[in-house]
Amino acid sequence: MTIAETRGLTKIYGAGETRVVALDHVDLAIEPGEFVAVMGPSGCGKSTLLNLMGGLDTPTEGSVVLDGRDIAAMSDDELTSVRRKRIGFVFQFFNLIPVLTAAENASLPLVLDGVPPKEALGRAEEMLAKVGLTHRSGSRPDQLSGGQQQRVAVARALITDPALVLADEPTGNLDSRSSEEIAGLLRQVSGEWGRAILMVTHDPRIAAHADRIVFMRDGRIVDDTRIANSDSARDAMERAGLL
Amino acid sequence: MSVRHAILGLLAHEPRHGYDLHGAFEALVGGRGVWPVNPAQIYTTLSRLEEAGLVVKSMTRRVGGPDQNVFELTEAGREELDRWYESGAPSMHQRDEVFLKITLAVADDRARPERVISRQRATLYRDLHELTTRRSQLDTEAPLAHKLLLDKAIMHIEADLRWLEMTEARLHEMSRQPVPEREKPRRGRPRVTSIDKRPGEEGGDDT
Repeated sequence: MTIAETRGLTKIYGAGETRVVALDHVDLAIEPGEFVAVMGPSGCGKSTLLNLMGGLDTPTEGSVVLDGRDIAAMSDDELTSVRRKRIGFVFQFFNLIPVLTAAENASLPLVLDGVPPKEALGRAEEMLAKVGLTHRSGSRPDQLSGGQQQRVAVARALITDPALVLADEPTGNLDSRSSEEIAGLLRQVSGEWGRAILMVTHDPRIAAHADRIVFMRDGRIVDDTRIANSDSARDAMERAGLL
Repeated sequence: MSVRHAILGLLAHEPRHGYDLHGAFEALVGGRGVWPVNPAQIYTTLSRLEEAGLVVKSMTRRVGGPDQNVFELTEAGREELDRWYESGAPSMHQRDEVFLKITLAVADDRARPERVISRQRATLYRDLHELTTRRSQLDTEAPLAHKLLLDKAIMHIEADLRWLEMTEARLHEMSRQPVPEREKPRRGRPRVTSIDKRPGEEGGDDT
């Protein structure tokens, strides 16, 4: 069973001499609750992949299937609705609204979707508690640390109960300790709460939290590796040369 | 790996019997899942240390149980332990199996060095996943020593991944160079000069 899938997904920018193939017939299937990291050198197409899967950009060829439906075939209104309800976004620079509190930021997708503000705020409080921010729901972004701001962003991404969470370098603007915490939170989001996550990162230590790593180069997937549920830590230590 | 010195170090804290030493070692490193040492290895090491005069055995009577051998550090053992603290531990990273695989695969028409690298990367990431999982399961109460040991393993893997990436980027360049061979012993009397032409470089004048 797949929750999100790309079929022959291709994106070409420009034409003639300036033609750049950013994504070259990518087939990728993600299962519910799966945490997938995408790695590769800059310009390999990983951000393009994320943008296409999130409906933020349209493919030149191929399709993105979410919940069994091709998002390229949707009308603008439909796509907007799917983007709001079925896909959660987490960005490198948090993208929170500075004048709103943590709870207001987290409730935003619900409010935009027509949920009464009071009810939306209540659900945002619950979601903030789940991501470990119980006592900061009234704080504005500038009163929060980077790690806390990213937790708010994760709460916002999860509030509509999306099928897929897309995270673009979610720890790229955090210190190593907060990075580990956010990576651990995303692991919880997939493992315990059953959300599928596609995360772009260049940091091996963050990617290591995922269940699976997809390596890209020149717009193609060159390697697709399951890394969870393998040997014991003892074997890992042995190979790291510590035994 | 210096289980031998770890035993000396543990006995410096207090005299212990063999079984107790095994448990103390496991507690030190954070459990058998992290660094397993078999009890037989402890006993074998203890008898070698005893033969070398670094530890001494004495029998203690236990009320309601069998008598036990308790080991204690000797003066020579203490000196050996101090020598160990004073000396550097060799880093073994240049004895590397992955290096051997890649260099030999590059020169082997039937091998696929890209595949060797890709398999190795997968192995390293699986290990990294396992170690970060274990590391994140250690709560704030867990001994700092255990965290530091896992951090060390994680850092080594990060370094291995970086090396792999660098090597992968230069694989093509590598494939254009012959596998390093030792210089063939020359026939006849050795020449005195240190700079001489290699065989097959006739007419080449690039010095």
